[in-house]
Amino acid sequence: MVKGSKRKFFSGIEIYGFLILVSIYAILPFIWMLSTSLKTEAEAFRVPPTWIPIKSTLDAYVSMWTKKHFGIYFLNSTVISLATAVLSTFFGALAGYGFSRFFFKGRKFLIGFFLATQMLPGVLLVGPYFKILSKLGLYDTRTGLIIAFLTICLPFSTWMMKGFIDRVPDALDQAALVDGCSRLGVFFRVILPISAPGMVATIIFAFLLAWGDLLWVICLTSTESMVTVTLGIARTVGEFQIIWPMLMAGALMGGMPAIILYLLLQRLLVQGLTAGAVKE
Amino acid sequence: MWIFFVLPGTILLVLVLGFPAFQSILYSIYPEGGGSSYNLNNYSILFSDSVFRQVFGNTVLFVILSVASHLLLGLGVALVLNREIFAKPLFRLIALLPWVVPDVVVGIIWRWMFDPVYGAFNDLLIKAGLISTHVQWLSNPKLALPSVIFVNLWRGFPFVMLILLAGLQSIPSVLYEAAAIDGASWWQLFARITLPSLKKMLVVALALDIVWEVRRFGLIQAMTQGGPGNITEVLSTYIYKQYFQFFRFEYASAVAVVMTAALLMVSLPYIWMISQEE
Amino acid sequence: MSFEIQIKFEFQTERRRGKMKWFRISSYVVLGMVVLIGFSSFVNAQEKVTLRFSDWHLAEAPWDKTLAEAMALFEQRNPNIKIALEPVSYKDKETKYTVEIAAGKGPDIFHLHAFSLPMFFDKGYAKDLTPFIEKEGGAKFLEPWYPLCINMMKHKGKVHAMPGDYMSMVLIYNTELFKEAGLDPKKPPKTWEEFLEYNIKLTKPPERWGVAVLGAKDPGFELRFSPFLWSFGGDYLTPDNKKSALNTPEAKEAFKYFIELYTKYKVMPPGVPTMNAQDVRTQVAHRKIAWEIGSGWSAPIINSINPELKAFDVLAAAPLPSKKKKVTTIWLSSWVMNPNTKHPKEAWELLKFITSKEMELNWFVKNRVTSSRKDVSEKAPEILKDKFASVIASQLPYGKVVPQIPQWPEIMDAFTTAVQEAFTEMKTPEKALADAHERINGILARKK
Repeated sequence: MVKGSKRKFFSGIEIYGFLILVSIYAILPFIWMLSTSLKTEAEAFRVPPTWIPIKSTLDAYVSMWTKKHFGIYFLNSTVISLATAVLSTFFGALAGYGFSRFFFKGRKFLIGFFLATQMLPGVLLVGPYFKILSKLGLYDTRTGLIIAFLTICLPFSTWMMKGFIDRVPDALDQAALVDGCSRLGVFFRVILPISAPGMVATIIFAFLLAWGDLLWVICLTSTESMVTVTLGIARTVGEFQIIWPMLMAGALMGGMPAIILYLLLQRLLVQGLTAGAVKE
Repeated sequence: MWIFFVLPGTILLVLVLGFPAFQSILYSIYPEGGGSSYNLNNYSILFSDSVFRQVFGNTVLFVILSVASHLLLGLGVALVLNREIFAKPLFRLIALLPWVVPDVVVGIIWRWMFDPVYGAFNDLLIKAGLISTHVQWLSNPKLALPSVIFVNLWRGFPFVMLILLAGLQSIPSVLYEAAAIDGASWWQLFARITLPSLKKMLVVALALDIVWEVRRFGLIQAMTQGGPGNITEVLSTYIYKQYFQFFRFEYASAVAVVMTAALLMVSLPYIWMISQEE
Repeated sequence: MSFEIQIKFEFQTERRRGKMKWFRISSYVVLGMVVLIGFSSFVNAQEKVTLRFSDWHLAEAPWDKTLAEAMALFEQRNPNIKIALEPVSYKDKETKYTVEIAAGKGPDIFHLHAFSLPMFFDKGYAKDLTPFIEKEGGAKFLEPWYPLCINMMKHKGKVHAMPGDYMSMVLIYNTELFKEAGLDPKKPPKTWEEFLEYNIKLTKPPERWGVAVLGAKDPGFELRFSPFLWSFGGDYLTPDNKKSALNTPEAKEAFKYFIELYTKYKVMPPGVPTMNAQDVRTQVAHRKIAWEIGSGWSAPIINSINPELKAFDVLAAAPLPSKKKKVTTIWLSSWVMNPNTKHPKEAWELLKFITSKEMELNWFVKNRVTSSRKDVSEKAPEILKDKFASVIASQLPYGKVVPQIPQWPEIMDAFTTAVQEAFTEMKTPEKALADAHERINGILARKK
């Protein structure tokens, strides 16, 4: 962390001003979402719009849980997204470590392959993937979705983890190996802890990717018991009308798990290498 | 030994994505329903279509502006949050908030906020005295794409910020202290210590974001469906339209192949770079 | 030096070992959970026949209740059949059905707009219903339906779907605003010239405008624009559907008239180029515009947007104005049987039930949609007495439908692009229309 040299380039005021501006930018829609979620349907359409509801009600929130089975959506999304996050970060770290430390034949090709699978748009992959899933009997299951998201996430997780692992000096690996650690042990005991900030970023990234997906969920599930939060929210956009308060309530509630996950992991984000490990 | 690490991921990718991807490519070349002769008809249609060229151009513009703005804002916020700031955890949380909303939902909500008559955005700007009449963010052809990029910036900068922040955290403060004792200015600290250490993370963030923004679909589809006219149509929405609205499966596959090839060409230097020994 | 590293290394690992162990354990737990979930989701064999029924209405009020009740009634009458209800989101339904049917799966019976039918027919995603119809009496069985509706269900002469809701587009106008502008609500405009005059009187910016139409790329667009084009004497395509007919003087006139409502006479509110149907209805609900082109769904929705408007009292329906001939667009939904279905007989029973006279009347009473069955739309007293439905039903005979060809969505996309370009003045109406004309010819000329 920079303690600040004697001649500062930006004054404290400018820094805080910038931060506050960015914060307003970031949080404005959420204020609007909160405001709308507390309104009646009719007031949500009012012109000019009101920022503080004239008549506030928790109806939208209640309806999402009672009329729309939000509880099931929540369970599905949480299970799927957590599993995707953990598994893809884990496998991504494995592969990232492999790419980082080992220089084998065909390495470039394999890296390129990992990349290339990402570049085809999901639209085209859904159809064939659906065929595979239904043959395996995994259609309309959480497992099928987890495998799908895990695979979509994997190359990204691999790149990110490789990036972070690259910055861990090989010297540490060697020191541990010399101590009698196995390669796997080095991975678990040295690499993972030190690249914790990177893992946090990757976990949150994978979690949000699985949580926010719509296309795959639409095509790979059919029953109400498999609906995710995002799909549930999308369904409030009907043929003829959009139920704004419910949509906003759903979106706000839907963002909670990711926020909670972040809050739990944020300490790991802050810890980093200490000086001694880097100085040569 | 390396196999053990890399294999699980590879198998998964090949099985789940590799086969479908390969099938899609085949689809674009072999006409549906058989025949062993391939034809590149779809590709010739593609390249001679003026709408495709416009869509390609839109995509390039959209990606460049989105990624650049993500990097600038993300880096700026990450740098600030790397310092001693009052209520830092709170600011960090706020800066990450846009990321938790799925991008389709982001599109729906912002579209409504941009509504020319009912929108909260215009309302706020008028109350703040910044504009006097309602602005048509999404139907004015000059403002449509900037508005979409504005929303994409909102949605996308947290990710870049998080990666860069994670990268910044691992720069040992000792380096800064030593340089500060030597009398380095802020700029020198930034250019000589921060940037080089961050270089790897910057490149990772850049590469990921580029691929990610080329694939950006839900946001744009929900906000404008590519309109007005074809001004905000990008490759991903174009492919979706061709496939699911016009049922032109083979043509859509061809466009997707072109898109993938273009992306690969752009990322080849990156692959080369990261696979070199440093 | 290496000693320092070692100390710090051990120190950090100790600190983190706890967390790492937790991490490893939790990942195994999750893995275990995943496997368990996978196993637990294998479906047991059923004794009864289960039909998968999918409809976007299942996700919307008030339809969801109506359909659930109807399905329960069906199950009562057919104890060996169980119905699995599968809601789907409106704009993603084609996506979902396409993916599933192409892979040999999909719901047994599903609901589609008629405009999706040509594409589904083309790909073979809708089962041929001829054998079932023959068993029921062939042509006699199909008699109660409007011939136009049955024709739209045909692919190569065979019926591949059953018609459902059938409505015509009419003017939905606010009688109070009429009175305020000095217009007689009992005398809605009969010609497009009158339409423009009325609009000019009704427009008082920024408080209010006359009318709004859709500008967005939305299936609802063609419903509202087509009457302009047709009643001016023009059409989208030549009668053989092989070429664009947008270069006729009538088509140009209709297009220009439509665009100038926004650009020249400014009787439409700003933002029309991106408005979809819901935006337009919202405008009516808030008295921002005096009327719109809508149908049976309009008043209930407007009422739910703004109950203070008292939509059912204040709004009235009238036939659309005309120029050379009286014509309106019709809106038709359809019920499709999945060609992959494993229970065609039971699925047919369900189809018959949904489109029976009894149920069609039920859909009107509960959800205010008129029917494609003549014996309901022309005879049912409930419809004849309703001030909206009676007008809508009266216009059904004047209904015209857009060309039912697989390329239609693409053609409409090109046309709507032209409309947006003309509205936003990126191009003059003439140029925009000419460009669309060329593009549509290109689309049609493609070898299939």
